Amino acid sequence: MNPVVKTVSLVKIYSGGAVPVPAVRGVDLQVEPGEFVAIMGPSGSGKSTLVHMLGGLDARTSGEIWLDDQRVDTLSESAWALLRRKKIGFMFQFFNLVANMTVADNVELPALLAGVSPKDARERREHLLGALNLSERADAAPGQLSGGEQQRVALARALANQPSVLLTDEPTGNLDSRNTRDVLRLLSDVHKEGQTIIMVTHDARVASLADRLVSLFDGEIVDDGRIARRRTGTAGAVIDLR
Amino acid sequence: MSTALAGGRWIRADLRARKGQATLTVLAVAGIVAALITAVTLLEDGTNPWRNLSAQTDGAHVWLYTKDSPQVAVGEIDGVTDTAGPYRSAPVTVAQDGKKEPASLRAMSAARPLVAHPVVAEGRWLDSTQLDGVVVERSFASSLRLRVGAPFTIIALSGERHTLYVRGIADSAEQGFYPEWTPGLAWVLPTMLERIEPMLGRSEWVTGLRLADPDSAQLVSQRVVVMLEDQLQRVYTWREVRAAMELDNRLLGTLLALFGVVGLVAAALALANAAGGRVLGQLRDLATLKSLGFTGGQVALLLLVEHGALGLLGVGIGTLAGWGVAVAFLGVSVPPMPMLAIVAGTALVVLAAVGVPAWRGGRTPPIPDAPVAPPRGHLSRMARLALLVRLPPALVLGTRDAFTRRVPAFLTVFGLAVPMMMITIGLGVWSTLDGFLSHPEQVGQHASLYVKPGKLDPAEARRVAVEDPDVRAVYPGTDVNALAPGEARSVRVRALGTTGEPYPFPVVEGRMYGRPGEAVAGQGLLDLLGLKIGDRVRLTVGGSPLIVRIVGRTVEPDLDGEVLSVGLDSLAAKDSVPPEHYALALRPGADPGEVRARLLAESAESLEVQRVVNPADRLAVIRVVIVALIVVLALIGLANLLTASALGLRDHALDLAVLKAMGLTPRQVMATLVTGTGLLVVLGVAAGTAAGVSMVTGLIDLQGHTSGVGAGIGRAPSALTLTLAVLAAVGAALTVALIPARRAARAQVPVTAR
Ligand SMILES: Nc1ncnc2c1ncn2[C@@H]1O[C@H](COP(=O)(O)OP(=O)(O)OP(=O)(O)O)[C@@H](O)[C@H]1O
Ligand SMILES: [Mg+2]
Repeated sequence: MNPVVKTVSLVKIYSGGAVPVPAVRGVDLQVEPGEFVAIMGPSGSGKSTLVHMLGGLDARTSGEIWLDDQRVDTLSESAWALLRRKKIGFMFQFFNLVANMTVADNVELPALLAGVSPKDARERREHLLGALNLSERADAAPGQLSGGEQQRVALARALANQPSVLLTDEPTGNLDSRNTRDVLRLLSDVHKEGQTIIMVTHDARVASLADRLVSLFDGEIVDDGRIARRRTGTAGAVIDLR
Repeated sequence: MSTALAGGRWIRADLRARKGQATLTVLAVAGIVAALITAVTLLEDGTNPWRNLSAQTDGAHVWLYTKDSPQVAVGEIDGVTDTAGPYRSAPVTVAQDGKKEPASLRAMSAARPLVAHPVVAEGRWLDSTQLDGVVVERSFASSLRLRVGAPFTIIALSGERHTLYVRGIADSAEQGFYPEWTPGLAWVLPTMLERIEPMLGRSEWVTGLRLADPDSAQLVSQRVVVMLEDQLQRVYTWREVRAAMELDNRLLGTLLALFGVVGLVAAALALANAAGGRVLGQLRDLATLKSLGFTGGQVALLLLVEHGALGLLGVGIGTLAGWGVAVAFLGVSVPPMPMLAIVAGTALVVLAAVGVPAWRGGRTPPIPDAPVAPPRGHLSRMARLALLVRLPPALVLGTRDAFTRRVPAFLTVFGLAVPMMMITIGLGVWSTLDGFLSHPEQVGQHASLYVKPGKLDPAEARRVAVEDPDVRAVYPGTDVNALAPGEARSVRVRALGTTGEPYPFPVVEGRMYGRPGEAVAGQGLLDLLGLKIGDRVRLTVGGSPLIVRIVGRTVEPDLDGEVLSVGLDSLAAKDSVPPEHYALALRPGADPGEVRARLLAESAESLEVQRVVNPADRLAVIRVVIVALIVVLALIGLANLLTASALGLRDHALDLAVLKAMGLTPRQVMATLVTGTGLLVVLGVAAGTAAGVSMVTGLIDLQGHTSGVGAGIGRAPSALTLTLAVLAAVGAALTVALIPARRAARAQVPVTAR
């Protein structure tokens, strides 16, 4: 099977400041369909930069990026935007939701963008929020939700268009253990349904949920290996968070 | 299509989240547009009353006077849609308060005609049950100080006296205003006219023709001349009536143009600030939109549509409101061309003003958690100084805040400075108007009456004028036309005063003429002939040469400034003796109307006495507009302040939590915020006022220069006015700044964002 995401000697050098900062230095990465990849590494090792480049939020300096057998690093900014609508779901640590829009509108927005009719977008939103136990908060503003609830809404929105790949950057970064467990259970559920996921994290216990662990150091991959799975119980029970 | 749907969602949500601010924006733009339309309408009505009177009365475009009722069908002439009359008309004299005024008494029936029907302003129209009723044209009535119900005594040509009673006062577009246009006009029933003037030979017939195309009036009147031949006494068109009514004064155009510019800048500012502040406050959401798959262009378009729609909505509402105010409250119709220009101009300005923030928003990088740059700078020297002298901590922190958050600080200062500058300019226009009224001599209106000898001997006329107790000085004068070298047209040479006793022209550059052969000129003349002060110019007056040296420039509101002023002794004797008229300067406080009446009585009605019309007299209404504009500008300034505060507070929320954690009471937090804003407010208001003062005279003078009036009319507002304005502005701004500060100080600020 062809990889969903493939990078060839991907390089990113920030040259805005006084000295150029090489954030990513020649990364070769292949992610197969249905894989759950965790990216770990010390602060400043280029994890976020890599994920941003994979989603087209940041332009690469050199190298290639392939998505679903299509070369995408040469795309213009607007072409990237169009691609994101259908193929990429994003979930960050903070600021995932449009502050002014209700939870329902936030989740419907990607579907509407992808050209789904308002009626279908609504049905899809109801289904997603229902699955995440957020149906009764549909009309709330994001500011009225707890951090964990906000992340669940962000996840619902990222999945709204069944993207080829879900990119998440520290999705549990500011959550307490209970909320972390909820969000991780959701991630693991969608992974079981076949969703490809690339997740950046600091936390080894969070990373252990993935199939595969990629370690970055100073912008280079220093380790890439499958995680041996203890196949007992559910994801929530497996990772024992305090 | 899909983007439109999604974008629509976003716009709706955003507007819902800021209903108040959006409403304020719409209202500000609407206010400006309404003020501009009202201003243009009123000015147009003040300077060109004919247009509106003609519209109200469905006026005729050509008027012809015949000995008998016209026997040929003038109504059949090509282009004539309707005829008014013919009406019989008899010349009479009105005796009122010892004065005698010439009038023409017009027979009109109780049922008013469809075309050229007088519009009753006070009282009622003629009625067959009241035979001795008369309706008097408004300018004539006000010149005679007639009220409804007053007796109206007329003397027919036979010498017979009749007393009628004023039943109504009406407007008409048939002739110019009394006394510039004589005789005055009054309407009576046909039976009454027959009783007053039974002799048909002593009256004439008046017919009005309404045309499909007013521009064909000249052609039609030529046809009339050919058709009626010697039956015709005289014919004139609407152009002559309009010219007689028009206030030929460039100063008005000057003020109007200034107003338009002020309004447009204000509209642009209101929108740019609202949209700009909003976009800055929304960068994170815009980034999220991009990460969801909106392209940069789509985000920019979204913002343009949202904010542009608000602006255009404002333009629409403002147009309706301005139009409604003009038609419903002021009873004047709106001139179509200027209104279209205003609507198109503001619409363009709206889109341009919104375009920049929209473009900025479209360029937001799509990384949602991009860190907000920490405030640059540290405890400034000023704040350190404050700490040294042990000022309360709130003041120190506020002072620091004011200058470390650059973007909100800039928005606050700039957002207040520009409206304040505009307000100062508005006040300058006000004081310039005041200047016209209180110092007419500074715009060349030193004399308030002009006397032509008429039937009297010029020396006798002069004696009558000099002997009047209220006349301070009498200047002999003559206006002649002179051919300029190399110009196909003539310029006006105004000889007034003598070198021994010169007329006090308002000389703003160079000096007054001091001996024969010296002259002063208006800017328009200097520009026309390419002259400068010190140059010699050779003109031809009635065949004889006039060679003068220009020694000064005057403020010249007449004839586009194309006037050369000399002493009477600079003209050849054949042109200057005897003088054509005398200009009378009155003692301060004297009423020109009374002096005029006295002079007429003294000379047994043989003098022709004309009052000078002060341009500001017909312009009282512009002051209402200035006040309205100032209110709108003040609202804009306050709205800008709110935008900037909201932006500042958003970035500030975390710091506030820290301050509270450090032990500042809510009151101290509030004081901190108000100090920070207050400093910026004072800075903005002061900067705006200074800029306004330094620009206002320059702007008015620049306008004056291009219109030929010449520099030298602009007046800055008085120091007292300015102080009051600054205090009011700072006070209002601080009151407004208190609202968000209080809310922020009270709010339970979460320690983490979201
Ligand atoms: N916009 C930027 N301009 C300049 N340098 C940048 C920019 N963004 C990131 N960097 C630099 O690039 C390097 C990699 O940053 P990146 O954010 O990818 O690290 P990270 O692995 O995500 O770190 P963390 O775990 O702290 O989130 C760092 O040295 C950082 O300073
Ligand atoms: Mg990171």
